[in-house]
Amino acid sequence: MLREAQGQRSRCSAPARGAGRGAVPMATRVRPWRLGPAGSAGAEKLATGGAASAEGPGRPGPLQDETLGVASVPSRWRDAQGFRGETKSCQTASVATADAASQARKRADAEVQTEAPGPGVLPAPRHDSARLAAFLRRVEATVVRELNRNWRSHAFDGFSVNWTEPQCTVTCLHTLGYPPAQGQGLHVTSVSWNTTGSVVACAYGRLDDGDWSTLKSFVCAWNLDRRGLSPRQPSAVVEVPSAVMCLAFHPTQPSHVAGGLYSGEVLVWDLSRPEDPLLWCTGLTDDTHTDPVYQVVWLPEPRHSHHFRVLSVATDGKVLLWQGVGAGQLQLTEGFALVVQQLPRNTKLKKPPRGETEVGTTAVAFSSFDPSLFVLGTEGGFPLKCSLAAEEAALTRMPSSVPLRAPAQFTFSPHGGPVYSVSCSPFHRNLFLSAGTDGHVHLYSMLQAQPLTSLRLSPKYLFAVRWSPVRPLVFAAASGEGDVQLFDLQKSSQKPTVSIKQTQDGSPVYCLEFNRQQTQLLAAGDAQGTVKVWQLSSEFTEQGPRETEDLEQLAEEVAT
Amino acid sequence: MPGPALSRVHGLFLSLVPSLEVEETLERLQSQKGVQGIMVANTEGIPIKSTMDDPTTARYAKLTCNLKARSTVHTSDPQNDFTFLRIRSKKNEIMVAPDKDYFLIVIQNPTESATLWAPSVIT
Repeated sequence: MLREAQGQRSRCSAPARGAGRGAVPMATRVRPWRLGPAGSAGAEKLATGGAASAEGPGRPGPLQDETLGVASVPSRWRDAQGFRGETKSCQTASVATADAASQARKRADAEVQTEAPGPGVLPAPRHDSARLAAFLRRVEATVVRELNRNWRSHAFDGFSVNWTEPQCTVTCLHTLGYPPAQGQGLHVTSVSWNTTGSVVACAYGRLDDGDWSTLKSFVCAWNLDRRGLSPRQPSAVVEVPSAVMCLAFHPTQPSHVAGGLYSGEVLVWDLSRPEDPLLWCTGLTDDTHTDPVYQVVWLPEPRHSHHFRVLSVATDGKVLLWQGVGAGQLQLTEGFALVVQQLPRNTKLKKPPRGETEVGTTAVAFSSFDPSLFVLGTEGGFPLKCSLAAEEAALTRMPSSVPLRAPAQFTFSPHGGPVYSVSCSPFHRNLFLSAGTDGHVHLYSMLQAQPLTSLRLSPKYLFAVRWSPVRPLVFAAASGEGDVQLFDLQKSSQKPTVSIKQTQDGSPVYCLEFNRQQTQLLAAGDAQGTVKVWQLSSEFTEQGPRETEDLEQLAEEVAT
Repeated sequence: MPGPALSRVHGLFLSLVPSLEVEETLERLQSQKGVQGIMVANTEGIPIKSTMDDPTTARYAKLTCNLKARSTVHTSDPQNDFTFLRIRSKKNEIMVAPDKDYFLIVIQNPTESATLWAPSVIT
């Protein structure tokens, strides 16, 4: 429209020469358009401007282009926006501020540390010996009479009371698994309960790898007391660069767990710190094992019984004791090495192949009665009785920062294959069990080399055997056929009392552990990567009368 | 065995040294058949003398604090009084002989005539 207006203007300028005001009607005549009041004034101005320039410099030709100003046509349909405005302002009242400073001049620092509970000390009260003597004189006769009568009494023969509802069957309480590990085809190599009995941890790895493997694996823990326990989602997961072969929870710290790797390292994790769980590690030094670590055990320190050390057992023939020192390093404090030449000769063993002098150890169990006595299971199939206090130096060329000693004191007669698990009885100081690849469980007494009894549990390998912590005559064994067998020597010494089928396809069960706090629970891990927590019937958790005596009888009668 | 006159003198001597008599009585009781342990505690449950180790002693000492036997017997028949308590448990038998100031607790392990376990055959 603007261009049109300009065009109009240029055509109109010629006849509009000399005409001032006349140009307006001229312009409007040619193309009438509606002009607002301001618009007509603007058009007039423009017209006069054009006319003036037309008259300015001489007389232009009849048709000449001139450039006029821009014609502006204000919009009709958009009204000029009037606005009504008001100005208001507000101001907050001034804020009163005051500055004050205070400084504590005296400070006191105090630390509180709970210590592990020591043995309770009973107060010794003062007493009057004369009155005590008089009292004893009065009651002695009665008591002696009752004691004799009781000794001869048959009143309670065979009498027993049931205090709890007897539970007849063994049920699977939980089936726990970690899908990423199961997806990689990892096996559960070890399970462990923590000191409070509420957390079960399992280690993933592979037990059938012959080669060096760079398999990443996991340590997973489930808190069974937590509401909303999700069986596929552990409450703590630790990723480990190498396969974990064994696991052991700390005896007093509920969240510390030690593990031994396929690479020979020993690590300690704190599961309560999800962002950085690694507490201590041995690293790969000259001292570390050169073969997979098959078992780790926590041991109390001899002088400070609430500090603990880690003992690791591997097939390179070394048994090493580690201590956690600052900066996350596990340092070797003591070490033992087993060489064939130094084994006690009380049992005739097969001659080892030439060149091999180390005795590979695969399992360890400490006696509950003598803290320095332990039993080692070996690849040669013979258990060894060893002592932490042994002094003789080991004839080995393996490098080590501490002198290695030879711990073996007694050799027991061998199994038909490597021993994968040993367990010392918590109720009898001399009895221990060993299970090996020949499918047999041997019950040994520390006093003689031949086993007291040998039970054939399975045609396949046996991977783990454990005594029950509450019943002196009960033990459990994990077999390569996929079942967990519970033996009650009181009922039958030939066949298992209960055989629990853990895996459906017969893949082996590699590890099992009883829960010492909740004694009806038994955890077992298998080759499919699942950990099943079994609830045992009450007959496995309640001690019958006189079981300890029966165990003693067992130890003595069969030996003769 | 000393004759009656000599034992009377012996007893007289011991009554002059009461602590020796206490020890001797406890030894005699301990040597009875099947006795596992003996303890003397006062009415508050604090053990005074014991032949067992500390944790076991502490466990049995709590027995006397909670003993309601006297009140049970006495309230049911005021003429009656509590003289002796025998508790038979799965593992052993606990005997309590009371007094105004002290309790004597004896733990005995009585035999059972039948043995429950038969030897296995070595396969």
